[in-house]
Amino acid sequence: MNETFSTLVKELQAIVGERNATDDLAICTSYSRDQHWHFVPAKNPACIVRPGTKEEVRTVLMLANTHKIPVIPYSTGINVRGLTIPVHDGSILLDLSRMNRILEINPDMKTATVEPGVTFGMLQEQTRKYKLRPAFPDAPLTVSVLVNYYLRGIYQTSATDGHDHTISYEMILPNGETLKTGSRALSEMPYFRYGVGPDFAGMFCAHPGTCGVVTELTAKLYRLYDNRKEYFIGFDDVGTPTKFIYNLMNDELAASIRLVDNQSWLKGIFGTFDYPYEKLPKFVLCVLVEGVDGVFEAKDKLVRAYMKECGGQIQELPAEFASTFEHESLGGAEKSCMVFGIKGRGNYHCIGLYGPLTLAAKYYEVHEKTALEVGIPQDHVHFYIDPIYSFHGQLCYFELDIFYDGGDLKFGEKLRNYNEKQFHRLLELGIYGWFRPYAGIIEPTAERIGYLAEVWKKFLHVLDPNEIMNRGKLF
Amino acid sequence: MELEREEVLSAIHHCVKCKLCSIASFHPNEEWLPLCPSGEYYGYQAFYAPGKMEIFRAILEGEITEPSEGLLHSIYACTVCGACYEKCKQITSVELGAPDLFEAMRHEMASKGWILDVHTSIADKIEETKNAYGEKYEYNVNAETTDGDADVLYYIGCTARYRVPEIADAMLGIFDKLGLKYQVMGEEWCCGSVLFRTGQVEAARELVAHNIEEIKRSGAKTVVFTCPGCMKTFEKDYPDMGVELLHSTQFLTRQGNMNLKKEDLKAAYHDPCHLGRDLGIYEEPRAVLREVADIKEMKREREQAWCCGSGGGVKSAFDDFALWSATERLKEAKEAGAEALVSACPFCKRNLKEAAEKEELEVYDVVELVNRCLEG
Repeated sequence: MNETFSTLVKELQAIVGERNATDDLAICTSYSRDQHWHFVPAKNPACIVRPGTKEEVRTVLMLANTHKIPVIPYSTGINVRGLTIPVHDGSILLDLSRMNRILEINPDMKTATVEPGVTFGMLQEQTRKYKLRPAFPDAPLTVSVLVNYYLRGIYQTSATDGHDHTISYEMILPNGETLKTGSRALSEMPYFRYGVGPDFAGMFCAHPGTCGVVTELTAKLYRLYDNRKEYFIGFDDVGTPTKFIYNLMNDELAASIRLVDNQSWLKGIFGTFDYPYEKLPKFVLCVLVEGVDGVFEAKDKLVRAYMKECGGQIQELPAEFASTFEHESLGGAEKSCMVFGIKGRGNYHCIGLYGPLTLAAKYYEVHEKTALEVGIPQDHVHFYIDPIYSFHGQLCYFELDIFYDGGDLKFGEKLRNYNEKQFHRLLELGIYGWFRPYAGIIEPTAERIGYLAEVWKKFLHVLDPNEIMNRGKLF
Repeated sequence: MELEREEVLSAIHHCVKCKLCSIASFHPNEEWLPLCPSGEYYGYQAFYAPGKMEIFRAILEGEITEPSEGLLHSIYACTVCGACYEKCKQITSVELGAPDLFEAMRHEMASKGWILDVHTSIADKIEETKNAYGEKYEYNVNAETTDGDADVLYYIGCTARYRVPEIADAMLGIFDKLGLKYQVMGEEWCCGSVLFRTGQVEAARELVAHNIEEIKRSGAKTVVFTCPGCMKTFEKDYPDMGVELLHSTQFLTRQGNMNLKKEDLKAAYHDPCHLGRDLGIYEEPRAVLREVADIKEMKREREQAWCCGSGGGVKSAFDDFALWSATERLKEAKEAGAEALVSACPFCKRNLKEAAEKEELEVYDVVELVNRCLEG
């Protein structure tokens, strides 16, 4: 590391404390890869800074802005698909995990205000005391609440939670200014998203740390009900259950609805590898009904009525499977991560996207087709549908999954080929949008969105004229 | 364990960095309970298992070529307690675990001379005195073989011999009160645990050879340990000697009714990492303790016990961290309603006891309570 940078590290240490900033090679190396390394190769940040307060964040950003040094915001470093791996040399990685306070849980408002280092597990531990819960992504409950919502966490385990859980937030920009969205800008009441002017909260969302650093965020919480019932219905193909899913969604009957194949996510949803999954139908629809007295019984009755005519086979399974499904859906994903251990392969690749239920069978068809073309065996190909309320546009989150041996470098090459073909094919087929700005997604997508791409770039330039924020991750 | 480079890299690549290894099982109680002492204390990713794996990858791939301060700190400020692996294997069924990888990494580093001075000085002490504390070779406990032909040999270990002799005294007291014949080694050398755990594998060879020879010469059929660290080393790093290796609590459960006078004591049981996670011994210590006290289980127990903080060379190199980890455990015992924290490992007891000076909690080894409750 050159002398200038060493001086900078000393300045950073003066801001956050000697213990909380370092350019030690080994420490920096520990941030050099995430699970997406077949697509985003390892690269070290030049230094790691661990601020403990907003003011420290602000001072660090202003310093970096002055020197035009790239800054990569990082919360827990999980499930980020390469978004916190540097593109440029000399980057500062801003590890926000020390900022892990739950600032408020407001049961009357049904909201929680959190810092970036708060995980879903930490938040659920507290919210459940009020019979409330956050909207959980189907990601490890060790991930950051703030970042998942800010990055648009609409792949939640409960369909009823809707697609947007963010109400308002506070973001520090590279110039040191604090930007507050919604009612937060007007008062100490951060409980309304559309407080003043345009929907700024929406405008800044889904940028992978490329606008500024979000230091606190107020999110919606959802009720936990005592009445619950689970159903598991088997199908031999993706198309048949779509009518049933449509009915459940149209009548807003089920809390959680997940269609998965019998060899991947089902193992996590049931919490065990030790079951003859191959004897189940190829696809299993997992349905969870919940509600207050009276409403619950009415919903359950309708679900059972639709189930009779759905064309699937109702599965009688051990009671603990239903219990695990409940926990994973309404208490945070933990066992679901058993997908990382499928057949001892240890890694998974997915293209996550939003699209209409009407295209479900097409998405699966193109998934199988592309995999086959690039030499990925059929038994590595898996699928996942998670419909989302409200069902306008028949909104669903889809996952085109491939489970594989993470250490197989040749397979990594196949996956890159798969991505290259599949991004284009999916765009041709029609999607609502991508789950995250994965490596390789932005370019083919930006080509198709016309002048919006130009406006988007200009918008970012206004906020970050020196392009220090996660430089290279979007444009 | 000698691991091939490709095997190591494959295991490293299998880590998806979900970091569930850093917390105890969340469901069904939905409590956020950290499991990784070094990660919790130091905070940087380098101190959690996924970060350490990246560092190992970078060493093997030639990206790290110098022993920086951060490298030595992050790799050696880990108790190698194995809690991360216990959680990981539940989720991913991974076979090659983090503790084996971390010990292999330390071996790799030590072979390059990338090791802490304090750890090489322990090796020097062992070479000179044959014990890890550099003490003059003599018993701090009154240990004498009662019968040279006894089938049972009690391997005392450095820590019980030189730092917490009350454990060895208690074990010997139990033998005497039960009227059991036993041997102790004429020349008991350090088992080599600290050398294996800190990567100084070659330095342990002489110790292994000596102890094997002494045990064979004794003719004992069973070796009893009060130190799980020693026992693990014999199990994992020594060749099979054709003798039975038993922890004190396993040995005691075989004694049948010992006429123990149960005390009015609420005791939390701390699972030592080497005894629990490494050797799979969870029930026998509880069975013995239940005979002498009322057990108050802590939230983090058995496979997901919080480490006391002293293993893996941490106590000698990072005492502040070791004591912090122990204090966390003491707090947990108090929260469980315990009046005493009971372990089954001299290394745990030493660290917990030291940390307990500020806490209102007694710290014992289970054999101390048994000896106290045994009719003489």
